[in-house]
Amino acid sequence: MSLVELKNVVKRYGENTVLNGVSLSVEKGEIIAIIGRSGSGKSTMLRCVNGLEPIQGGTVAFDGTVVNDPATDLRKLRQHVGIVFQSFNLFPHLSVEKNITLAPKVVKGVPPAEARTLAEAVLRKVGLAEKIDAYPDQLSGGQQQRVAIARSLAMQPQLMLFDEITSALDPELVGEVLKVLEEVAREGMTMMLVTHEIGFARKVANRVVFMHEGKIWEEGPAAETLGRPHTPELETFLSAVLH
Amino acid sequence: MIRELSYIDVLYLIAATRWTLALTAIAFLGGGIVGLAIALLRVSSLAPLRWLGAIYVHAVQGTPLLAWLFVFFFGLSIFGFTVSPWLAAAAAYSIYAGAFLGEIWRGCLQAIPRTQWEAGASLGLGFTQQLRYIIVPQALRLAIPPTVGFLVQLIKNTSLAAVIGFIELTREGQLTTATTFRPFTVYLIVAAIYFALCFPLTQWSRRLERRLHVAR
Ligand SMILES: Nc1ncnc2c1ncn2[C@@H]1O[C@H](COP(=O)(O)OP(=O)(O)O)[C@@H](O)[C@H]1O
Ligand SMILES: [Mg+2]
Repeated sequence: MSLVELKNVVKRYGENTVLNGVSLSVEKGEIIAIIGRSGSGKSTMLRCVNGLEPIQGGTVAFDGTVVNDPATDLRKLRQHVGIVFQSFNLFPHLSVEKNITLAPKVVKGVPPAEARTLAEAVLRKVGLAEKIDAYPDQLSGGQQQRVAIARSLAMQPQLMLFDEITSALDPELVGEVLKVLEEVAREGMTMMLVTHEIGFARKVANRVVFMHEGKIWEEGPAAETLGRPHTPELETFLSAVLH
Repeated sequence: MIRELSYIDVLYLIAATRWTLALTAIAFLGGGIVGLAIALLRVSSLAPLRWLGAIYVHAVQGTPLLAWLFVFFFGLSIFGFTVSPWLAAAAAYSIYAGAFLGEIWRGCLQAIPRTQWEAGASLGLGFTQQLRYIIVPQALRLAIPPTVGFLVQLIKNTSLAAVIGFIELTREGQLTTATTFRPFTVYLIVAAIYFALCFPLTQWSRRLERRLHVAR
């Protein structure tokens, strides 16, 4: 059984069909890079996986649980699916430690002392151990994004979703975040990541999915798909982002 | 019977201020409870609850406070209910303040970006947990200045309770003027007492806001 299974997913905003029959399976341990023009439905697809967006057709399943089934307990599901956003979305009123430990404490009932240890561990992983008592607005964009990754990791998810997590960063800060991503990938995390960093996708991803007009236009092994695109749309897209 | 204005009158005015304060306290407490409920209805994810909140707010904001005081004090007595002035005032002011505080707090809750709710939801927090740990603490800081602003309005609006028999600060001022014919001096004193109540509040609100800002 695949960890993530999208079948014929249709998502509309009013008249606007944003996902038009998207089917995709992700196996445990796989790293999928999702590329495509702005507005092609990449974020929407990710947000369907953890049930942030209701869908109008098809099914989304995670680990055998149908996400779009009204009877599904989304809170339970989301404990196993982490998501990191382009705009970090840290909680500005909480310290780095509290940002990280809030969900483990409140959702999983982890005792405070243990939660602190957990925060230290995930912060070490993203190279920010010394920032545990800082507040988000005292950190650079790259640091904030690494804290956001740490916050997700602290829930020990089975799947991580990354939505253009370096797009809001100054160019010189992109590298430190990608390095953390690579580290997470190396530990065997299943990942779906929307990215414009084609070089990074080629290096880290097993598979590349190219989205166009709400459909998966083309997909395949990373090196092959990026090296020899089959469709003119992907070719055009690649030449636009690579130059 | 005209008599001289003396320090005794000033003491009476100060004594009457306790009714102003008591009415304010009741109104703020009752209004706070109603307002909290209304604000939560207004940000609920269920549309009928949101409508319920909206109808309440529009109905109350579209009617004068005076009317509510009359309804509870005189109106109910027509149907054979005897309502004490305190009960009538508590009911009318809670309804009135609840609508305004509800709107103020709804605005503060909605000023927190959707993405903060989403970040909480994505970590597995439920609606109430998102509200309690993420949204309310941030909204609280935004809420202080407008809430204190409304409280200051409320202090002044308690003078309307005179119509159902309360002899609070303004009414006491009227009575003193009637016997002393010194309206200028009397109302100057009345104004000074209101100022002494309201000014420290706004100052305190500023300090609190600054402190919460430093602590994020
Ligand atoms: N909340 C929303 N309401 C209406 N339309 C939306 C909303 N979110 C996204 N869209 C539309 O859906 C389409 C796909 O958006 P998105 O998934 O964000 O694309 P991408 O991430 O590939 O840039 C766009 O046309 C966008 O305008
Ligand atoms: Mg997007």
